[in-house]
Amino acid sequence: MAADTTFRGDPSARSGPAPVWVVVVRWAAIALVVAFATLVSWRLVEQGNSLFVVLIAFVVMAVVAVYATRRAVPLKYLLPGMLLLVAFQIWPIAYTAATAFTNYGDGHLLSKEDATANIVANSVQEVPGSPRYRLSVAVPEGQDPATGDLTFLLTDPDGKYLEGTAEGLEDLPADGVEATTTGKITAAPGFVILDARQVNQRGKDLGEFAVPKGDGGIKAIGLSEAFEGRATVTYDESADKLTDTSTGKTYVPRDASWVPEDGQGEAFPQGWKENVGWENFETLVTNETIRAGFVKIFTWNVAFALISVMSTFVMGMLLALLFNDDRLRGKGFYRSILILPYAIPGFVTALLWMSMFNQDYGLINNITGLNVDWLGNPWAAKAAILIANLWLGFPYMFLVCTGALQSIPGDVREAARIDGAGPVRTVRSIIMPLLLVAVGPLLIASFAFNFNNFTLIFLMTEGGPFTSGDTSIGSTDLLITYAFRIAFSGVNPNYGLASAISIFIFLIVGVMSYAGFRRTKSLEEVN
Amino acid sequence: MHKRAFGAAAVTGVAALLMSACGGGGEAASPSASTSSASETTTAAPAPTPTGTEAPVRDAAADLVIWTDADRAPILTKYAQEFGAENGVKVAVQISVDLREQFKDATKVGKGPDVIVGAHDWLGELVQNGAVAPIQVSADVAGKFSENSIAATKFNGQTYGVPYAVENIGLMRNTELAPTAPKTMDELVKMGNDAKAKSGGKVTNVLIQAVGKTGNAYYSYPYLSAFDGGIFATKANGDYDANKVIVNSLGSVKGAQVLADLGKKKILSTNVGDDNAEGLFTSGKAPFFITGPWSVPNAKKAGIKYEITSLPSLAGGGQMQPFLGVQMFYVSAKAKNAVLAQEFVTNYVPRKDVQLALFEQGGRPPALKEAYDEVAAKDKDVKAWFEAGKDGKPMPNIPAMNSVWGPLGQAAADVISGKDAKARFDAAQKEIVANIAKG
Repeated sequence: MAADTTFRGDPSARSGPAPVWVVVVRWAAIALVVAFATLVSWRLVEQGNSLFVVLIAFVVMAVVAVYATRRAVPLKYLLPGMLLLVAFQIWPIAYTAATAFTNYGDGHLLSKEDATANIVANSVQEVPGSPRYRLSVAVPEGQDPATGDLTFLLTDPDGKYLEGTAEGLEDLPADGVEATTTGKITAAPGFVILDARQVNQRGKDLGEFAVPKGDGGIKAIGLSEAFEGRATVTYDESADKLTDTSTGKTYVPRDASWVPEDGQGEAFPQGWKENVGWENFETLVTNETIRAGFVKIFTWNVAFALISVMSTFVMGMLLALLFNDDRLRGKGFYRSILILPYAIPGFVTALLWMSMFNQDYGLINNITGLNVDWLGNPWAAKAAILIANLWLGFPYMFLVCTGALQSIPGDVREAARIDGAGPVRTVRSIIMPLLLVAVGPLLIASFAFNFNNFTLIFLMTEGGPFTSGDTSIGSTDLLITYAFRIAFSGVNPNYGLASAISIFIFLIVGVMSYAGFRRTKSLEEVN
Repeated sequence: MHKRAFGAAAVTGVAALLMSACGGGGEAASPSASTSSASETTTAAPAPTPTGTEAPVRDAAADLVIWTDADRAPILTKYAQEFGAENGVKVAVQISVDLREQFKDATKVGKGPDVIVGAHDWLGELVQNGAVAPIQVSADVAGKFSENSIAATKFNGQTYGVPYAVENIGLMRNTELAPTAPKTMDELVKMGNDAKAKSGGKVTNVLIQAVGKTGNAYYSYPYLSAFDGGIFATKANGDYDANKVIVNSLGSVKGAQVLADLGKKKILSTNVGDDNAEGLFTSGKAPFFITGPWSVPNAKKAGIKYEITSLPSLAGGGQMQPFLGVQMFYVSAKAKNAVLAQEFVTNYVPRKDVQLALFEQGGRPPALKEAYDEVAAKDKDVKAWFEAGKDGKPMPNIPAMNSVWGPLGQAAADVISGKDAKARFDAAQKEIVANIAKG
């Protein structure tokens, strides 16, 4: 749609109104976008998510303003890209940054209200020695089952019939009452007994309903059983305190959890999410294990990414040069074969290499007759990772080099040959500079990708071997696997800390890539 | 012009590469994250995690929605339909491949199921995230279950589910290579070495036990338990106490020394891990295999004649006791159909026919005593698994367990590959305590 309309909309090329079908298609597409956005907004409104509705409204307005008019021609090209950029780049980064300032993680997923309500609800205990009742849920005759006053028709263990309402418990006259052999009442004069689906639809009411008895109440369990229970934890909203009535202990909010006021004993497991300011970043710079491991891991991380890029590039380029030779027959076949490692999912390959590197049972030691502990020795593990990554990465380099080589015009080479340059000289002085201009930015992208190559490391070694006597710093750890372990090694995964670390890594990769791009720019200038 | 077109193509290529890379990374992260915790070891589906990891979309038309894994779904569907017919409601059973995470995430945004089927060691984590609701199981219903299985469904004194199966590891033996069951580890080693000597090179290992380069705390624990060591001490009410880590207690270190000794004798090796352990046993390369019920189907398929017995005892200590994993039904705290969910879990799951049917699927001993008795009378494997775990303790379901798997596993691996047992377990204790303090 965009291509067609914008082309016509270009002021320089404008020659009367667009054909009818273009107009129809354009407006149909705009209507489709609006309809889809309306549908999405509808569902968001139902969930009470107003912020996103506003955002969607802005997007729709932008789409209509740009595509329904003949103005803003450049935007017609840019808008889809800009929207995708915001949705898939800016938004995740902003969200990560926002998370870095919270304690978000297991045990801190809920809001304080939800956590507190959950603690109180979970504290309901059966009153010791109280009976279990057979239960039928009913409403008084003449009332709508969906809204009527809930009434429990109960049978106690002695077979006595009772009627429980929000006011309390009363005897139910046995006249006219019918019950099953287990005692569940199936009919009682003056009441309409609800069927399973009707009871289920009143689930929310039943959750809040209890027949008061003593200091607790009779509550339903499922469809046909009721028990006498009481909450052992109460929440005093004005004092912002929890009290456990069974032990008399009081709890106060501290560090996003309810902790005992006297400092003795354990906090409630349900904590809540709150802002912690710069705390995660402080941990990052003050934590001793992080500092101790950083230099070592950073060095290996840079080396890993550099060697990976270099080795895959050199191998890919050499193969590309070889298979670009006009004299070679069956190039198509060889090229397809070479792309195979790229076509197999990376994590399958990584697991395969892991088993091939097994010291006792692996293919590599078996074939070579070596007895190297590939995955247990720090240096051998590094080599193993690089070998596996070479296998995974060279087809990509082969592909882009083949493409770039084919775009180098034949007359340039011919000119070199006429000027008396040999093959080596041609490659070094003519082909390489031309190739690097095209491939340079891809090398940087590949560097950035390998810098964060979590999958390979985690599947092959999990960052190990660990030679320092604990599991904090592994010999093949990258910053990203290291960050993963720090954030998830505690009792609870700490997404806030993980976000802070990933911002940190983002900055490192960003600076290094920037420097790299500056270098490739100079390459182009030489050219 | 040419160059520019190529540039555009290249940029698209890089974008695609990055996108696929991100996808791969995300997928890899979730299964590996859960392998480091207990869930994977206990539910121990031997097959690798499927690649499609999308959470199911809650069936909006159903009156009761149950999420479970792919293995249990078919049999559960049958009984869920029956429950639906009895009560005149529609029940949907849906498959979730990464249930623990997907349940948590979906529940948070109000799109979760009403009931899930899962391992008991998820409990602490689910409670602290407000994802599951307690259920009131009456004393006489609770009395119908094995004591351990009921204990496993409790957290901070409150009951959160109904169990249906208990699983634990035991000793699987290739009866052609080792006709009689060893009582002690020394006997086991002797029998294994004899079998090795007799086989003329076909038998290469005495005992198969998954260790791996990063170790495995689940399979290492029985060595500690043989000397009354372990991971956490218990509180007065029987709960595990996260503030009392006993990884470097006298008993635990004695167990570690046995691991060291077996490592030195090349009985255990870090070159045997989850990836190749089962293959080594099913190809007849070893007479003994420490594993759980999940290895039975493949052993049968490979035509191995096997017998299951309890884990051996260790010299100077008692019998090795495995961790018990209990499979249970949970009710979601955010259940849209709380009434039917409670009804299903408290009144339907404890029924004998349901427990028997669920047994057919996994081959794990049922938690309901009556169902177990019936099964055990017919199936000697089930009886053997049960006997092997008879004196075992439920795996801790407190969240603090998350910070144990990594350090303890690595310590065991290091000890097996020759590091000093006492020093290594002291370090692991220190690391675990520090991790727990981190919260």
